[in-house]
Amino acid sequence: MLGLKQIGGRLAQLIFVLWAVATILFLMFRLMPGNPLAAYIDPTFTEDQQQILMAKFGLDKPLWEQYFIYLGNLVQGELGDSFFYRQPVFDRIIELLPNTLVLTFSSLLVAYAFGIIVGAWLAWRRGRMVEKAAIPFVLTTRAMPEFWLGMILLAIFSFWLGWFPAGGTRPAGAEYDSLFALYTSADFLVHLTLPALTLAIYSQGLPLLLMRSNMLDVMREDFVTMARIKGLSGWSVVVRHAARNALLPVMTSFAIAVGYQIQGNVVVESVFSWPGLGRELVNAVSASDYPLAQGAFLMIAVVVVLMNLIADLLYGLLDPRVSHA
Amino acid sequence: MGEALLSVRDLQIAYRVSEGEVRAVDGTSFDVPAGTITGLVGESGCGKTTVARALTRVMPGNARIAGGSARFAGRDLMALPEAEMNRLRWRDIAFIPQSAMNSLDPVYRVESQLNEVLIQRGGMTRRQARARAEELFDMVGIEARRLRDYPHQFSGGMRQRVAIALALALEPKLVIADEPVTALDVIVQRQILDQLLELQRRLGISVILVTHDISVVAYVCDRVVVMYAGQVAEAGDMRRVLTRPEHPYTMGLTNAFPDLQGAIGILTPIEGAPPNLLNPPSGCRFAPRCPFSGAMCQHRPPDVRAPEPGHAVSCHRAGEAPALRAAAARIETWAAMA
Amino acid sequence: MPSDATLAAPADRNLLGRIFRSLHLPLGDPFALVGLAIYALFILVAIFADQIATHDPTEILYTPDYDLAADRSPGADGFILGTTSLGRDIFSQLVYGSRSALLIGMTAAFMVALIGTVVGLVAGYFGGLVDTVLMRMADIAFGIPFLPFVIVLAAFLEPSIWNVVLAMALVLWRDTGRVIRSQVLSLRTRAYVEAARVCGSSDLKIVFRHIAPNILPLSFLYGSIAIGWAILTEASISFLGFGDPETISWGYMLQDAYASQALSTRAFYWFVPPGLCIILVVVAGFFISRGYEEILFPKLKE
Repeated sequence: MLGLKQIGGRLAQLIFVLWAVATILFLMFRLMPGNPLAAYIDPTFTEDQQQILMAKFGLDKPLWEQYFIYLGNLVQGELGDSFFYRQPVFDRIIELLPNTLVLTFSSLLVAYAFGIIVGAWLAWRRGRMVEKAAIPFVLTTRAMPEFWLGMILLAIFSFWLGWFPAGGTRPAGAEYDSLFALYTSADFLVHLTLPALTLAIYSQGLPLLLMRSNMLDVMREDFVTMARIKGLSGWSVVVRHAARNALLPVMTSFAIAVGYQIQGNVVVESVFSWPGLGRELVNAVSASDYPLAQGAFLMIAVVVVLMNLIADLLYGLLDPRVSHA
Repeated sequence: MGEALLSVRDLQIAYRVSEGEVRAVDGTSFDVPAGTITGLVGESGCGKTTVARALTRVMPGNARIAGGSARFAGRDLMALPEAEMNRLRWRDIAFIPQSAMNSLDPVYRVESQLNEVLIQRGGMTRRQARARAEELFDMVGIEARRLRDYPHQFSGGMRQRVAIALALALEPKLVIADEPVTALDVIVQRQILDQLLELQRRLGISVILVTHDISVVAYVCDRVVVMYAGQVAEAGDMRRVLTRPEHPYTMGLTNAFPDLQGAIGILTPIEGAPPNLLNPPSGCRFAPRCPFSGAMCQHRPPDVRAPEPGHAVSCHRAGEAPALRAAAARIETWAAMA
Repeated sequence: MPSDATLAAPADRNLLGRIFRSLHLPLGDPFALVGLAIYALFILVAIFADQIATHDPTEILYTPDYDLAADRSPGADGFILGTTSLGRDIFSQLVYGSRSALLIGMTAAFMVALIGTVVGLVAGYFGGLVDTVLMRMADIAFGIPFLPFVIVLAAFLEPSIWNVVLAMALVLWRDTGRVIRSQVLSLRTRAYVEAARVCGSSDLKIVFRHIAPNILPLSFLYGSIAIGWAILTEASISFLGFGDPETISWGYMLQDAYASQALSTRAFYWFVPPGLCIILVVVAGFFISRGYEEILFPKLKE
């Protein structure tokens, strides 16, 4: 197993990075031109009323004091109130996070299942026509703007063929007892399909190319040759030995892809009006709802940093050369 | 000596390369009698490893069997359908690789790699496999609890023992060991060879031991096949071949290695390098490096002669062997070739 | 390695040839050649946009009978790719879009490659505290969600295509920096660098004469990927409405189409071409980076 010391070190690094990101964010929001309360303050407010408001939000205090209050609040999960919703930012974010996570994980699971299998298959067909044609094709899917792909799918499957709804997570007016009930409903699945497919098509390239090149490397290893000399079945040789070894770095990349996807979701969520963190961030920034924008940004950053850490730990866990050193 | 367990005749293996086709093995013939250790010895590139791998029929993608046969227990390995060949693999013909580090899968415990063979190829139940694995580890002198370890947790010598245990798992008739001790230091080399010899005697199996090291041959082999440039230069009883070689190349090889019992004489290398097999010499392939080559050697490939039953030598001047041996023992003979 | 050959070769008298060679263009790889050809095509289009475009891309067009020339299909009334719902010529927008795409792509790639290379060189060669500080900065950059960062930045600054370049320069040097650092670490121990050090060469000279030339292909590799990144990011930002409304870009065109209900009217001629252009330029970068990979890691060629 990985040493506690190493895990401790990585955790310390995680906290350091989060602190730095929070600080950068604080500076961005406070030092940028314009009154942070501009969107909140009604033009009819008197000077006095404005001062009262400034004081209420702590904006009358010196910057360093504001910074420590901000950090102190962050540690307690206190992200302030949204200007627009007039409710705690934290509650709003926790409400939206599951939508984003469901979209991210479902699309990545599809992408990885597809990418791993096809990547392994392409390695096996090394040098054939299908392999030569597939590589530029896969690179092309990596070069697509995700939102554009979403637009194409929307135009074809929603507006033209009418097979799928144009956005959201549920039919208008539909209510569900719980998130679980929503996520397991057929309606939800129908709403999920297009955005998840969009993200999956974009994401499958990474595991596919990674798996292919790893497979090509592993197939040259002595232990794969030995597996054949042992007369093991083709399945054992290709899957149990070659693919299992080639899979290690691909699994690690899954965690990184989650972190990456969650920031990229911003655009696709907007295209499909998916009520997730990314779309909320865009809306909050557009509406100058700074507390909400800040909160959404931080939440996304937490997921990114956490996933980078998990990727590290996962590698140690999956590779016996590290875990049983 | 009875019927040979394996009888290789005129084997031809070709590699496709960008410049054309290389006959890495070009008309190799030798016998492996049952219950013996046969050394396959030669410089790197002489085709010994290619022969060993050809016997498993697991070869690099650019290699093909271009001719000849290898009769094993009455069946020609080179002509068997793949499915039947696969049934023979490991159950009848097992393999010990040069580097057990790279040939054991790093992500599985040694136990599961043994189980894989015992269950999938040996048809054992999990319980039987467990007992057999412990028995095998006991045979090669490793504690049974280490079955739970991963390959990287073993030392080099221990890993080679694991490789031997793995090879013996299904009680094969023939074990092909490809440079099994080359990567190890000398003391461990001797331990592993002792182990191999002891198990071979105890189980009565046949072993083909591929090596470039004539002292390894001298230490464990019953018979020896000396290969040069894809062909057999000389083959026969190990003591007979090494003490009274008939082929100048064998004479050179025995000069180039420390004495079998450890007494170190003057080592005399054979000057030059093996020929390019894309375009081999038209006469004897060793002629360009041979201190005794004559006009005939340059033009006509030598026939195989049998000075006595079970001994084969491929040299035009094999008849003059005693005189050549005397000359070959002198360092000046070889130095003149430099 | 070709870079070694460059080092050893006598000084090229032809300046243009020297610049060309210093780019280490991967001309041996068919993929890379295709990529370079695509770039060449778009560069020509960008340069001669005024000549190629049939209309002013921002002008609202009317038919001879003073009707708004809106929602025209491709080919109708001489509009090669049709018009937008506001009566602007799509083909001309596409042509001018290549200008902003290349401008953003090239500058951002240059910034990313430059900053990443300098950081990697300095961190890898000097090590110690400098290395620690720079690598912790890279850790932080890896913790910043890139697209949200660009959005926030774009929202605070004046709308401009340079926001994307700035954001990339601030964040995306991290990958290049890390990779180049590890390359420098391994180069530093090579015999010829050791030899130069023993002979008393200055650090600056060793870095620039012996190490930098060997990592240039790596910088170009990351640079050619960054071009695509920049164009994709600009498109996303424009699509979300944080772009510069004064500049015609492919992302802006897509935003315009999306907001004007082009999806429900199935005006594919409007939103398909900008996407295809983005794909072409980005994939060209990928192809070229593959070429650099073959230079750097020739085993892939086998």
